Amino acid sequence: MLLFIAKRLVQIIPVIFGVTLVVFLIMQMVPGDPAAILAGEGASQETIEQYREDLGLNRPVAEQYMSYVSNVFQGDLGNSLKNKQPVLDEILLRLPITMELAFYSILITIVLGLAAGIISAVKPYSIRDVSVMVVALLGISLPSFWLGLLLMYLFSVKLQWLPVAGWDGPLNIILPALTLGVGGAAIVARMTRSSMLDVIGQDYIRTARAKGLKEHFVIYKHALRNALIPVITVVGLQFGSLLGGTVLVESVFAINGLGRMIVDAIRTRDLPMVQGGVLVASLVFVFVNLLVDVLYRAVNKRIDLN
Amino acid sequence: MNKEVVLQVKNLKTHFTTSKGTAKAVDGVDFTLHKGETLGIVGESGCGKSITSLSLLRLIPTPPGKIVEGEILLNNKDIVKMKEEELRKVRGNQISMIFQEPMTSLNPIIPVGEQIAETIRLHQRLPRKPAWQKAVDLLEMVGLPSPEKRAKQEPFQLSGGMRQRVMIAMALACTPEVLIADEPTTALDVTIQAQILELMKDLQKQIGMSIIFITHDLGVVSEVCDQVAVMYAGQIVEHRNAKDLFKTPLHPYTQGLLSSLPNIHENQQELQTIEGSVPSPYDYPVGCRFADRCPHAREICRAEAPDLLETNNAETKVRCFMHTEKWEVIEEKEELVCP
Amino acid sequence: MSITTKSPILEVNHLKQYFSLKKESLFSPKQTVKAVDDISFKLYPGETLSIVGESGCGKSTTGRSILRLDEPTEGEVLFNGTSMTSLSKKELRNVRGDIQVIFQDPYASLNPRQTIRKMLQEAMSIQKVMPKEQMEARLLELMSLVGLRPEYLERYPHEFSGGQRQRIGIARALCVNPKVIICDEAVSALDVSIQAQIINLLKSMQRDLDLTFLFISHDLSVVRHISDRVIVMYLGTIVEIADKDSLFDSPSHPYTKALLSAIPSIDEQHKKDRIILKGDVPSPIDPPTGCRFHTRCPFATDYCKKEVPALRSLSETHQVACHYAESLLKEEIV
Repeated sequence: MLLFIAKRLVQIIPVIFGVTLVVFLIMQMVPGDPAAILAGEGASQETIEQYREDLGLNRPVAEQYMSYVSNVFQGDLGNSLKNKQPVLDEILLRLPITMELAFYSILITIVLGLAAGIISAVKPYSIRDVSVMVVALLGISLPSFWLGLLLMYLFSVKLQWLPVAGWDGPLNIILPALTLGVGGAAIVARMTRSSMLDVIGQDYIRTARAKGLKEHFVIYKHALRNALIPVITVVGLQFGSLLGGTVLVESVFAINGLGRMIVDAIRTRDLPMVQGGVLVASLVFVFVNLLVDVLYRAVNKRIDLN
Repeated sequence: MNKEVVLQVKNLKTHFTTSKGTAKAVDGVDFTLHKGETLGIVGESGCGKSITSLSLLRLIPTPPGKIVEGEILLNNKDIVKMKEEELRKVRGNQISMIFQEPMTSLNPIIPVGEQIAETIRLHQRLPRKPAWQKAVDLLEMVGLPSPEKRAKQEPFQLSGGMRQRVMIAMALACTPEVLIADEPTTALDVTIQAQILELMKDLQKQIGMSIIFITHDLGVVSEVCDQVAVMYAGQIVEHRNAKDLFKTPLHPYTQGLLSSLPNIHENQQELQTIEGSVPSPYDYPVGCRFADRCPHAREICRAEAPDLLETNNAETKVRCFMHTEKWEVIEEKEELVCP
Repeated sequence: MSITTKSPILEVNHLKQYFSLKKESLFSPKQTVKAVDDISFKLYPGETLSIVGESGCGKSTTGRSILRLDEPTEGEVLFNGTSMTSLSKKELRNVRGDIQVIFQDPYASLNPRQTIRKMLQEAMSIQKVMPKEQMEARLLELMSLVGLRPEYLERYPHEFSGGQRQRIGIARALCVNPKVIICDEAVSALDVSIQAQIINLLKSMQRDLDLTFLFISHDLSVVRHISDRVIVMYLGTIVEIADKDSLFDSPSHPYTKALLSAIPSIDEQHKKDRIILKGDVPSPIDPPTGCRFHTRCPFATDYCKKEVPALRSLSETHQVACHYAESLLKEEIV
C-alpha cells in the first residue's frame, strides 16, 4: 500500500509540469496585453514598454516559461500584476475559504446522496423510490448558479432565514454549500441506488439472509459496504466538478474564495494570479484523486491482485 | 421405520408471476426428512429442485416468487406461517444452507472468520472474542490449514475448495438440525469434490444433522444419500431408498435419466436418450407431465394426472399409473400413445 | 486398426503457452503463468483423442493454442505436416476451415442479431466452401444432420434451448467441411438427458463424415464413452497418454488413479476405497519442482521432488510420466 502511494506521488510530478505548461500557454494565447492594462488607459507607448520590461514580458516565451517553472518549484508563484503582492500570499488567504466551502458541499453530496440512494434501493420501484429519483433528476438538471439564485430568493429574500451573501458566519455556509452539493448528491444518489440494487441481487446477500441476519444488518453491513466501492469513484469525480463550481457559486454569493479570485484575475488580465490560482486548484484536485484511489484500494483489496 | 421426523413438507407450491404468466416452478411437493438422514433431491435444470430448497427457508425473492400453498413443518411448526422474527431464529440456526458458488456466496470484502462469527454472535449470543475463537475452531474442524491466519483473510485469497469449507463451517456454526446443500460441489473439480463430500459425511456423523442434498449429479447422490427424491416439472416423481432407486428405477423418467448417463466402468455403444423436452412451467399438460416423452404412455396418462403413491413397499413412492393396481387393465384396453 | 501406422493429421510438438501477469508493484519480479508447459502429442485421422484434467491444468489453453486463438509462446503445431505456427494470418484462415471448434457455451459465440441462416451462410462464404446456388440445399442438409427443424433457420440464437444451441454450434462447425473438430467442454453445461443426445450426435457425425475429434473435458465418464485415446493433464503438463481401455482399466499415474477414484459412481460394485488427494492444485505461477504432482502424491519420494519424470512408454499405446509407474502397477498400492 505504501509503495502504491509512493508510486502515485511520483506520478504526480509530470502532471504538475503539464498543468503549468497548459496554464502558461493558454494565458499566452488570450488576447489582451497585460502591460497595457496595467499601465492604464491612455498611457503612452513608452510607459507600456517600461511595464513590459519590468515584468519580463519582452523575453522569449520559452524563457518566460522556464523561469516561471523554476520559481514555482521554489514556492514562488510570482507577484500580482495589480497590487504587486506575492500571489502565494493571496492564495493562502483565499484557499481555506474555498476548501471549507468544498468540504461542506462534498459532505452534503455524500450524506444526501447516500441516504437518497439507499432509501430508493431498499424498496425499488415503490412510490418512495420513484419520487426520490425524480428529485435526483431535477438536481442533476438544474444549473448551480440558477439553483443558487433560487435558494437565495427563497431562504434569504422571502423567508429571511439565512443571510444573502458574504462569508461571516456558519449560517453563511448553508446556501452556497447546498447549491454546490446538490448536483453531486443527485449523481451519487443514482449511483448508490443502481449499485445497491446490483449488490442486493448477489448470492452473498442471500447467504446473509439465510444466516438469519436482521434486514438492516443485511443492508448496512453486507450490501452497503460492497455497493460503496463504485460510489467512491463517483464522489472523487464529483469533487473535481465541485471545484469548478466554486467559481460560479462564489461569484453568486459574493464569497472571497479562490474561485472568485481567479475570475477577478481573469477580468483584469492578472496573469500570475490566474496561473497561480489554476495551478493550486489543479494540485488540490490531483491530491483528492490520489486520496480516492487510496481509499478505493483500502476498501477493495481484490484489485491488488490484478 | 420409526425414526424421528425433523422436517415435513406438504403440498408445497412456489409460483412465479411474470409478464408471461404464472410459472409453477414448484407445484405440489411432499416429502418427509428423518433425523440423521440424507435426502437427495435430483433432477435436471428447471425441475424446481433449487426453488424447493430456497422455499424451505423462505428465501425466494418476492415478488416475483411466492409460496402460494402448502406447509413446511419443522418439528411440527409451520415455517410458511412464521413471523419474520421467528423465521430469523430458524435461519442459520435450526436450518442452514450452503450454495453452489462458494465465491459469489461469500461476502467479498468481509474476512471469512467474521462471516462465521457474526452468525454465532447472533444465534448464540456470544461476545466478540469467544465467537471469533469459535469461528477459528470451526475452520479447523472443516480442515482449513492454518485457520487462525485464514480466518482473517477475504474470500478471494482462498481457493474454491477452501471457500466451500468456509461455507460449510458457517452453516454448521450453530449445529443445525437440517443442512440444505444446494449443488455444493458442482463448481468444484472432482478431486476437491471428493474431499468436500468426505468432509460432509464425517461432519454429519459428528453432529447428527439431517441433510437435504440438491444436485443434478446422480453419481454424487448415490455416494452420499440415503433417500432420493427425483423431481420433474415441479413435482416429485419418485421417492425411495437410494440403493433401490439406482438398482431398479420405477418411474420411466428415472429410468431414462439413469440410462442416459455414460458409464465410466464399461464401454457402451450408444447412450439412451429421453426424446422431446421438458414442458413449460407456464403451461403444464393436464395429465402426467412426463407423458409426452414416456415410452409407456397410454391414453389415461394424457387425460389424468397421477398422484405420488406408495407402492406395495410402504417406503417407496412413485407418481406413475404403471405402478398402480389398475395398470393391468389399462395395459390391455388402451393403445400406446408414446412419441 | 493400428493407429500408429497412419500419419498424424495434427501434431503438437513441445507446445508452451505462458501468460505474463501484470506486475504487482514496481519492484516485484515479473511473474508468468505456465498454463501449458512443454507438451507433445499426435492426433490421428478418424480418432477421438480426449484431454482431461481439472480446472487450470491447461487443457483448454492447449485447444486455444492449437487454433492460435492465443499465440503459443514456444513449440509447433503441424496440420497435415505443415506448421501452423509459422502461417500468416491469411494462410491461417484457410487452415481454420479444416479445424473447427465447439465451445461449452455456444450462446456466447453466436451473434444475437443474426438468424441461424445468416450465420451459417456467412461462415460458408468466408471459407468459400461452395457456390451460392448449392448453399440452400446444404443448409437444409446441415439442419437435418444436427437434428433441427428446417424452419429454425430463420430464428435467432435466443429462441433456442441449451441443447438446441449446442446443435447449432455443431452445425456451424460442420458447415465448412472441417477435418478436425476441437470440442472444448462441448457437453459440460448440458443436462444429462440432453448431454446424451449431443454425445450420440457427435459420435454418429464422426462415423458418417470421417471426422477427427480433439475432445477437451473434465468429465471422465463422458470421456470414456466418446474417446479412443485419452491424455491426462496436470498443472500444464501431460502425465499420462493411453488408449481408453488401458487408461480406465489400469491407470498408471497416481494422479490418474486418484482422479478416477474420485468420480462418484452410481454403481454399487465400484464404490471401492477412494484415494482422496490432500490440498489444492498448486499455483501454475510457481509450480513445484521435479514432478509437479509430488506435493499431493501419496507415493512421492525425495527423488520425485528433484527429478522431472519424462513421459515414457509402458506399452505401445500407453505412456506415463511417473518414476514409479511400474512398481505402482505391480504392487497395486491403494
